[in-house]
Amino acid sequence: MPGGELLLAFADAVIGTDPAALDAARGALAEKLSPAAVSAAAAVAANFTKNDRIANGLGIPIDAIAMAGHEDLREQLGLNDYRSAVNTFRHSA
Amino acid sequence: MTLYDDSAYPVRPDLAAAHASQLEKLGAPGTWGTGAQRLAIAAEARQAGYDAGVLEEPAEGGPAPELELPEVARRVVRTLAVSPKDVDQASYDDALSGGLSDAEYVEIVGVVARATNFDVFARGIGVPLRPLPAAQSGEPSRERPAAALVELAWVPTIPNGPDGGELGAELYGGKPKPYILRSLSLVPDELRAHIELEGIQYTELSRVFDYENQHHEGLTRPQVEVVAGRVSALNECFY
Repeated sequence: MPGGELLLAFADAVIGTDPAALDAARGALAEKLSPAAVSAAAAVAANFTKNDRIANGLGIPIDAIAMAGHEDLREQLGLNDYRSAVNTFRHSA
Repeated sequence: MTLYDDSAYPVRPDLAAAHASQLEKLGAPGTWGTGAQRLAIAAEARQAGYDAGVLEEPAEGGPAPELELPEVARRVVRTLAVSPKDVDQASYDDALSGGLSDAEYVEIVGVVARATNFDVFARGIGVPLRPLPAAQSGEPSRERPAAALVELAWVPTIPNGPDGGELGAELYGGKPKPYILRSLSLVPDELRAHIELEGIQYTELSRVFDYENQHHEGLTRPQVEVVAGRVSALNECFY
C-alpha cells in the first residue's frame, strides 16, 4: 500500500510522547503522499482516539454479525488479550 | 476565518466548522453538566495529556476552569484521557458508587472523547491546541430518554427498532445501528455530536461499507483503515 509504513509511523507518533518523531512523521507523509494526507491522517487518528474512549469507556460489545468468521485473525493479532475484549466475550458464554 | 487557518496543511472546511462549533458548545450547559463543569472535564483531560507527555501545553489554552471536579469524576476523566485500555467494568462501578449517575458518566465519556479528538487533530496537523472557551451560564436540561434500558453495554442505551421510540428513530435514521453509534444514546446530544464528527473525520455513515469511496482528499479508504486500525490497537480497543 502506498505510504503504509509512513501512515503507521504517523499513527504511532500522533498519540505518542515524542514530538520530534511526530514532526518527522508529519514531514515524511507530506513529502511522500501529500500535504492533504497529513490532515486526513490526523482527522482519522483523532476520530479513532474518540471512538476507542467511547467503546472502552462504555463497555460496548462488538455486534454479533461483526464477530463471525474472524476468530483466527483476532487470535493472531492478540486482540483477545485486550482488557476490553471481555465486554464482548462476557455475552458469548 | 476558520479554526485552523494557521495550519500548514489543508483542512476540510466542514471539519473546521464542526470543531469550532463543538468546541464552543463545550462551554454551554449540557444534559447533566453545567458549562463550567464540562469545561473542567475538558481541561482535566488536557492536563492528563500534558502530564503523560502526549499533549503539549499551548501558550494560550483559554480561561482557567472555574471549579474543581469531584475526585470520582477526576479519576474517570484522567484514566479515559490517557489510558483508555485500562478502563473496565470495575472503573464504571467505582464511578457509580462514588456518586456519579449513569447519565453523568456517559456525558463525561462523551466530553472526554471529543476533547481528545480535537486535541489529537491539532497535534496531528502541528498547530497548538485550540483555546477552550469561556463557560456559559445556564442549567443543564437533565432530560433522560424514557426508552433507554440496559442492553449489552454497561450503560443504558436506546434500543434499535420500535422499542427505541421516536427519539431512537431520529437518532438512528430509521435503521439498526451498531453499538458504537448507539452507546452514547443515554445523552442524545453527545451521540449527535459524536455522529457528526464520525461522518466528517472517518466517512459518510451511509457509505461505511463502500470501500471504493474516497472520503478524504489525501487518503484512500485502505489507507484510512491503516491509521484507524493502528490507533485502536495502541489504545487496545477490542471493538
